[in-house]
Amino acid sequence: MPHEVIMPALGMAQDSGVLIGWLKAAGDPVKAGDPLMEVETDKATMEVEAAHDGFLTDLSAEAGATVPVGQVVAMISDTPEGSGKPGAPTEAAVAPKEDSKPDAMPEGRKIIMPALGMAQDSALIVGWSKAPGDAVSADDTLLEVETDKSTMEVPAGHDGYVAALLAAEGEDVPVGEVIAIISAERPDAPVRRSRAEASQGRPEATESLPEKAAPAIAAQSGPAPKTTPAPRTAGAQPEPKTRSAAEGGRVLASPKARRLAAEEGLDLQRLVDAGATQPFHVRDLETLRQLPAPQPAPAAATSHAAQHLTADVAAEALDAFLDWLAKESAPATPRAATLAAFAAAAWADAMGEPGAVQVEAPPAAAVQYAPAQGQPIADLAQTDAPAILVLRDLVATPLRAMQLGAEATPVLSLTRAGDRVHVTLEGQMPPPVAIALLSGFAARLADPLRHLL
Amino acid sequence: MAAKAAAKTGTQKGAQTGKAPKGNAEDYLRMYRQMARIRAFEDNANQLYLAGKMQGLTHMYSGQEAVAVGICEALTDADKITSTHRGHGHCVAKGADFTAMFCELLGKEEGYCRGKGGSMHIADQSHGNLGANAIVGGSMGIATGAALSAQLRGTDEVTVCFFGDGATAQGIWYEVMNMAALWNLPVIYACENNGYSEYTKTAEIAAGSLTARAEAFGIEAHKVDGQDVLAVNELTTKLVARARKGEGPFFIELDTYRYHGHHVGDINREYYRAKDEEAQWKTDRDPILNFGKWLTEQGVVTEDDLVAMNDEIRADAEAAVAYAEAAAYPGGHEVDMHVYVDSPELDAALRGQTAA
Amino acid sequence: MREITLSKAVNEAIAEEMRRDPNVFLLGEDVAEAGTPFKVLAGLVEEFGPKRVLDTPISEPGFVGIAVGAALTGSRPIVDLMFGDFLFLVMDQLCNQAAKACYMSGGKLNVPMVLRTNLGATRRSAAQHSQSLHALVAHIPGLKVALPSSAYEAKGLMKTAIRDNNPVVIFEDKLMYQDKAPVPEGEYLIPFGKANIKREGRDITLIGTSSMVQVAEKAADLLARDGISAEVIDPRTIVPLDEETILASVRKTSRAIVIDEGHQSYGITGEIASRISEKAFYYLDAPVLRMGAMDVPVPFSPALEDLTVPTPEAVAERARQSVRGELFHAA
Repeated sequence: MPHEVIMPALGMAQDSGVLIGWLKAAGDPVKAGDPLMEVETDKATMEVEAAHDGFLTDLSAEAGATVPVGQVVAMISDTPEGSGKPGAPTEAAVAPKEDSKPDAMPEGRKIIMPALGMAQDSALIVGWSKAPGDAVSADDTLLEVETDKSTMEVPAGHDGYVAALLAAEGEDVPVGEVIAIISAERPDAPVRRSRAEASQGRPEATESLPEKAAPAIAAQSGPAPKTTPAPRTAGAQPEPKTRSAAEGGRVLASPKARRLAAEEGLDLQRLVDAGATQPFHVRDLETLRQLPAPQPAPAAATSHAAQHLTADVAAEALDAFLDWLAKESAPATPRAATLAAFAAAAWADAMGEPGAVQVEAPPAAAVQYAPAQGQPIADLAQTDAPAILVLRDLVATPLRAMQLGAEATPVLSLTRAGDRVHVTLEGQMPPPVAIALLSGFAARLADPLRHLL
Repeated sequence: MAAKAAAKTGTQKGAQTGKAPKGNAEDYLRMYRQMARIRAFEDNANQLYLAGKMQGLTHMYSGQEAVAVGICEALTDADKITSTHRGHGHCVAKGADFTAMFCELLGKEEGYCRGKGGSMHIADQSHGNLGANAIVGGSMGIATGAALSAQLRGTDEVTVCFFGDGATAQGIWYEVMNMAALWNLPVIYACENNGYSEYTKTAEIAAGSLTARAEAFGIEAHKVDGQDVLAVNELTTKLVARARKGEGPFFIELDTYRYHGHHVGDINREYYRAKDEEAQWKTDRDPILNFGKWLTEQGVVTEDDLVAMNDEIRADAEAAVAYAEAAAYPGGHEVDMHVYVDSPELDAALRGQTAA
Repeated sequence: MREITLSKAVNEAIAEEMRRDPNVFLLGEDVAEAGTPFKVLAGLVEEFGPKRVLDTPISEPGFVGIAVGAALTGSRPIVDLMFGDFLFLVMDQLCNQAAKACYMSGGKLNVPMVLRTNLGATRRSAAQHSQSLHALVAHIPGLKVALPSSAYEAKGLMKTAIRDNNPVVIFEDKLMYQDKAPVPEGEYLIPFGKANIKREGRDITLIGTSSMVQVAEKAADLLARDGISAEVIDPRTIVPLDEETILASVRKTSRAIVIDEGHQSYGITGEIASRISEKAFYYLDAPVLRMGAMDVPVPFSPALEDLTVPTPEAVAERARQSVRGELFHAA
């Protein structure tokens, strides 16, 4: 019966050896104990002895070859010719029950899906950077994978040739599972397959190396951790957030205080605003519950009463200015642009920050301008920026007085009454702001030139 | 069961002297078979390691077969042994089955320890093997305690503590020899002196005499040629009989040799052990070859019978290896089993308590 | 109910179990005529004879190893380690051999032995006779660890330990041998893994082990005067640990302090505090506190030794800080 001669494991940390040379030739008779070949590990050169009597046949590795441990390099047969081909190359590592020969994996180093983060147990293959049969060096990128954090390049880790790719692009692979094989020699029949193909007909899908398994599943008693990472879905936050996060500064509070606040719909930021000392504890929620209704925020829609202010200016100065401007500018500056500029300037003075103005002058379509400070009116261009102020130019209509109620955005309305222009401001803002806005706008209408300078 | 030759002191080399009574042929054949089984087991275990199919480390017993077999053939299943990291030989000699042993070495579910012990912790409780131990000297206390328990329970069980010359450097040996001697415990301390403590010659790690160490506690000490299975067996049989009567403890120093390195990866070892020396022990003092020669000279068997027996044993071993390689690993759910055993009587008492 | 000392309670437990099961035996230094230097085992050799109450030479690794071997082969030894500090001497036999025999054999071997030893400082015995080393053995899978806090626990836990088929290490506080507590006359066992709520409270949970239970109770008295109601829990065994009782308590009170006589760092307090932080996080209104012995070897001088262990006053002060929300560490 023929016996296999294998590349032996010659040291504790060694996966392959170099066959220096054969000490017997094919067909030579050998006895158990005769040296057959010389091999070299990184520590020393040594002779490997025959384990059986017979004839050395079927040499399948050449002098100089690097051979993985466990791979068959020759046979000891009953006859000098050999009794047939050597058996299929044996695996270098112990594997659980495998399929029979048609699926035999190439020899080589097994490359596993690495763990790329502490809480990650699988990753998506974005793409292979090498194809079966390609030469690789250890630093070459072999594939790109995506975790819940980012896309990363995974190096080959070993010099050699891509002998097998065992998962396809787009497949999600558990950490520790073998995804590729890198062989020392150029493979005759490199393999490419997907996990989906591999798991057909096999009760356990693909193999994993036991010592590189994903971090041990906690076998301790107790419920599973709440915050299991979900690579692809943005899961619900495990801890309720307070709205204060939007404010930028952290609010410090005990876990129980936070939980109870969230359950009751209380905003811890209000405690901050009320000047309470952090960190907040459960007893501070009593204070929070007693606080008066929330103060208006400067920018947001708040609970101010709807406002209605009016102003009244002579139309003469505005008409004269607009006529002059139309003649002086080429192309002629639209009336809407001028009005927008005045409104925006008044807004900037009252609010302290610029904003876009939407001008509605039916039947024309609404237009928007976002004048920058100091920008010449003639240079104004339309914009898509969302408006913070609406100007309704209704002087060309018979409408005279407006009382429409506050809308989402403050509205300045212009109506004509004889030789006067009525300006109405409706909105919900702090009274001083409303006054300043209307006054500023009306003043510009009354004396355009002066405000331009 | 053993021949009536006088207890041997001083080492003996070479073949047996004197004819053996034919009535013991069965015993002799069993001894030969057990030694051949150990050798076959180790050869296969070594191959498994070199082929990268066995993980971790193991330590070959090849060359020391006569020690384990000579001693264990003098024991029953009720007698206990403790073993060492070089424990496959003891395990086979005390009655273990190849398949369950190979399964254990490969970490499979059908192994003696359900794959949880491996080579260095292999134990076969049903045959009285309290286990191999990865701590040098780690089982000396255990063996002594097993002997104490035998005495307390009023049985005539004997415990044999196997250890190497290197373990004589562990303090616990002196502590337990002291107590064994004080209490006349039925324990036999069997020191397998193979001349090397890992990579260092015994002479460089053990000052003075090993037998004198036991004698310092008043323990009767013997030396025997560890390669002569009959000599080992005769001596052990006598000492076991005396220990059963309460005359223990005893100490035996057995001169022997390990053919392989300290562990399976210790291959380039000429720096501490000469190839000539290894070759000489293999050719002149191999326990199996020499016993086989003696058996054929005594007309107990023919050479052909021995060849047939060896072939059969090798086939058994290879079949066991194949079985073990194909066998299943334990399921992952077993990883946190067997940390504790249940205490059903205690639980019943506790339940009865709350019910009352 | 009668009150007996902790010493007597241990003696009764061992005697009862030795009468009940002939395989139970004692070994250790001076356990026979002397009954150990603490006199706990007095009288046993007279009743059971020198074979079952076995004096050993001063060979801790040796006789613990012997206990392991005896336990593996049909006996049930109680091995006495005179001072808990000597644990370091026996770690291989206890942690590499006894703790692992069952697992390494796939459940076929087991080691029904009890290692009886002690802990506790403030006896002026200095650094090598005053340590509380139960954290070392609690860390090793395969062992069980019991910490009786009074005579009542000492008897019930010892009986259970002897009947448990696994290796158990039981630590008595050497300062408590003469302390009396009510102990029933009849037979009783205390199950492992079941904590005892010694006192109910609403504002903070104090978890104490061994003699720290008494420290916690005295602290609770002090706190009551300030209108703070403390719940006191005695886990009784740290392996297995009754988490549920502790967690239920902290969910109720929202605050916890763990008090133990092992060193503060890398010990019991950290383990229990961590479990509370993980599993009762959303119920916490204050950080979980740990109070162990100072991270120093135990000093001899009376002026120094008492500074190294938690006291009722120190526990009460920390509890007040917890309740008042004064435990914020600015970044």
